[in-house]
Amino acid sequence: MGAIINNIGISAVAVIIAPLLGGLLSGLDRKITARMQNRMGPPVFQPFYDFFKLLGKEGITVNQTQMAYVIGHFLFMAASLIMLVLRQDMLMLIFIMAFSSVSLIMGAMSVRSPYSKIGAQREIIQIMAYEPVMLLMVVGVYLTTKSFMIESIIKHDTPLLYNLPMVFLSLLFVMTIKMRKSPFDFSASHHAHQELIKGLTTEFSGPQLAIIELTHWYELVLLFGLISLFFAKPFWVGILIAAASFFMEIVIDNISARMTWKWMLKAVWLLGIGAAMTNIIWLYLR
Amino acid sequence: MGKYILLCIAILLPLLSGLLCYYIKKPAGRKIITGITAITMFCVAGEFTALLLKSGGKLVISMEGMPFDIGWLIKLFDIALMAYIAYIGVTLKKPLIVLLTLLQFIPFTIFEIIMVPVEPENAFVIDYLSLIMILLISVIGPIITIFATGYMKEHEHHLGLKASRQPRFFLILYVFLGAMNAMVMTDNLSWMYLFWEVTTLCSFLLISHDGNAQAVKNAVRALWINLLGGIAFLSAIIVIYQNIGTLSISEISSAPHAAGMSGLLPLGLALLCFAGFTKSAMFPFQSWLLGAMVAPTPVSALLHSSTMVKAGVYLIIRMAPAYNGTMLGNVVAVAGGFTFAVASAIAISQRNGKRVLAYSTISNLGLIICCTGLGTNAALGAAMLLMIFHAVSKALLFLCIGTIEQGIGSRDIEDMQGLMKKMPFTTVITVIGMVSMMLPPFGVLMTKWLAIEAAVGQPMVLVTIILGSAFTVAFWAKWIGIILTMSYKPKLYKEDLSFSVRSSLIVLVSGVLAASMGIMPIYNRFVKPQLALFNVDSSTALTGNQGGLWVHNSDNLIVGGFDSIVLFLVIFAIMTIIPYLLHRTRPEDVKPPYLCGENTEDRRGIEFTSPGDKIDNVVVHNYYMSGVFGEEKMTLWANFAAVAIILIMFGVII
Repeated sequence: MGAIINNIGISAVAVIIAPLLGGLLSGLDRKITARMQNRMGPPVFQPFYDFFKLLGKEGITVNQTQMAYVIGHFLFMAASLIMLVLRQDMLMLIFIMAFSSVSLIMGAMSVRSPYSKIGAQREIIQIMAYEPVMLLMVVGVYLTTKSFMIESIIKHDTPLLYNLPMVFLSLLFVMTIKMRKSPFDFSASHHAHQELIKGLTTEFSGPQLAIIELTHWYELVLLFGLISLFFAKPFWVGILIAAASFFMEIVIDNISARMTWKWMLKAVWLLGIGAAMTNIIWLYLR
Repeated sequence: MGKYILLCIAILLPLLSGLLCYYIKKPAGRKIITGITAITMFCVAGEFTALLLKSGGKLVISMEGMPFDIGWLIKLFDIALMAYIAYIGVTLKKPLIVLLTLLQFIPFTIFEIIMVPVEPENAFVIDYLSLIMILLISVIGPIITIFATGYMKEHEHHLGLKASRQPRFFLILYVFLGAMNAMVMTDNLSWMYLFWEVTTLCSFLLISHDGNAQAVKNAVRALWINLLGGIAFLSAIIVIYQNIGTLSISEISSAPHAAGMSGLLPLGLALLCFAGFTKSAMFPFQSWLLGAMVAPTPVSALLHSSTMVKAGVYLIIRMAPAYNGTMLGNVVAVAGGFTFAVASAIAISQRNGKRVLAYSTISNLGLIICCTGLGTNAALGAAMLLMIFHAVSKALLFLCIGTIEQGIGSRDIEDMQGLMKKMPFTTVITVIGMVSMMLPPFGVLMTKWLAIEAAVGQPMVLVTIILGSAFTVAFWAKWIGIILTMSYKPKLYKEDLSFSVRSSLIVLVSGVLAASMGIMPIYNRFVKPQLALFNVDSSTALTGNQGGLWVHNSDNLIVGGFDSIVLFLVIFAIMTIIPYLLHRTRPEDVKPPYLCGENTEDRRGIEFTSPGDKIDNVVVHNYYMSGVFGEEKMTLWANFAAVAIILIMFGVII
């Protein structure tokens, strides 16, 4: 019984802290990006101001069901974050995280809007690109620690990176897709010069958009949480590496332009899956 | 109730009901018969469960002391069946069919009539695997027949037939169910061969039921591919009997444990796997199952869920202990994984709803066979669980698509836009069915997850499963997105569905939900004891507790697992939010979608002002990516690769 209460406590803390952290990361992203483009940029807390402003807006919708998908998007993402902090099965976590994206896709497809439908189609392609690599990452972790539980990664003696360098590289590769950064931001880009109408999220507004933004913060924390697992000992090295990867994603985002989805599929399947498989095969043979 | 009576009812009752349907031509009579048969079959399945649980895992029914020799009766049926198939070949002027029948008839006569093998002592042995199959056949089958009473009326109305052909249709449907029940219960390989061939014949008759050129052509294709499997089956019987001198399935499957794989036994097992591949429509034999869609929808539902394709899978799982851990097992796993990945990739490029379902069936069968080939305790558990979940969900989905097709007159996915408005009841059920094929806490995904956890030792197989599961998400997501598309409408239509259609959909959808939530008891009650009987490598073991499944390693440490029941809370939260929102949204909050500011007065947002001030409709299609995943493109090389894998399968054992 005590364990259950403890778990509920940990989950509650994670659910409260994660968006604060994620929002801050998002603010830093905007600030750093602006500096790279020779602009002043908004204050670091701007995402929070935006969030509350969106929440206060009138609840306009295109059809009755949109909000349900947005809530689904949020709940599944929160569920996978809880699985991370409770150190559960990593493979299932990836599945649930994927379903969070699927839920948003359903929302975008539920309206008869050309922009959001095309965004949704592209998001499906993005899932097809990054999902195999994420799953291969989990397999690599299993071959190293002989367990799918995140618990055992944290207990593992050597950092995962020591055994999984190529898997880690391909994970960074698909992070760009997952965060919808250039050159892989087909479904919705945050660069005004690339997309004025925001693809996937075109038809969401007000509170709906606020929840999508909130979910994105959870996602950021979750993704960098996964990255920091590669260096679980000592803990602060993991955090530092996650921060470095975050900075690198921003740099890549700002120095590249959007590519086509065919190019992405080819690149990810050849390089991403190829690199991860190479790594896994040598682990398997060892 | 005695097990003999129960056995007789399970096999002969469907036959009797079929004959009754055939002779009582009144629709009302048919309805009563299907209803009574359904209830009786449910009871029989329940009784079997009770008996088996009481007897501790094995019901043995021997045919000693019968007034006449059933063995010869079965042989007589065998010959009559071959004669009938040859007759079909002659009337349709298909020399291939006649040739393939002859290729079965000659070895059959030499082996069964002239040499006369020793029949195994126990004619019927029922264990948990048989029980799972009996439950699937005797629960899903009758529900489909009930659905068929409503569906076929409408179907014949569309065709404009003068004389109803339904009596014949129901006769074959019921014979099919009886043969399936017999097939999963018998312990005699040569009896199983008869029932195997009966299902082949029944599927031919059902696929060609509508009688048009396309139907006959596809039915003939199904027939010859399955006859090929029949030849492999018969050869396997002969090879195995020559090698170990028994036809008892339970002895064969445990033979290598006793004596080790030696002589021609592996060849016999490979031939049985080959037979299973043809029946389960694995690449390169997938074309017959795709062609089978020309048949009325209840037929597709039956072929794809509890019967026919599951017969092949059943045979392969049944023999799993024999080739477990051998090179043969590894190649079977590769073949299954390959089919899983390729079939789900091709499904992405399909617009025809029934074809998507067909490819999804093929890919899931591939995954089941893949897990069976992997052969560890956890993998076999995943295979059996997937068999259950897939059967329930696929039966539901086929009935849904049949209903949709009759409702909107098309099976093209693009025509299903806005289905939520036209057919809200069917749409909701369809979506639950689809979601159960991909969403985390539902059974199918749980088994996919188990399959990956079980396949970590085999990188080749692993990569196919991983690619396959990514493709699976893609094609389901596209389809669900389309049918849930809707513009604002204050009121939904009420659908006009017959009672039989409505009730069978409701029963099946409850079955889907119940099966997924009950994954833990299903595993503990039925699958786990069967795994104990299989007695395979148990370095990884599955346990079901706390409402989920957990994977253990040899030190009994948890290495993976998931409390699936917890996540159902999230699902139900979303399921209750949707109807609430439907009621709560006020018309003044609803705005049309963004069309670059060129919206017209149309509040739905379908019309826009195009150049030249013309009013045009917005048309948005899904991506089908036929340049990457096109059917023609992929089928050719996939078939080559699949043939190669099968050759390798025979190569490694010789």
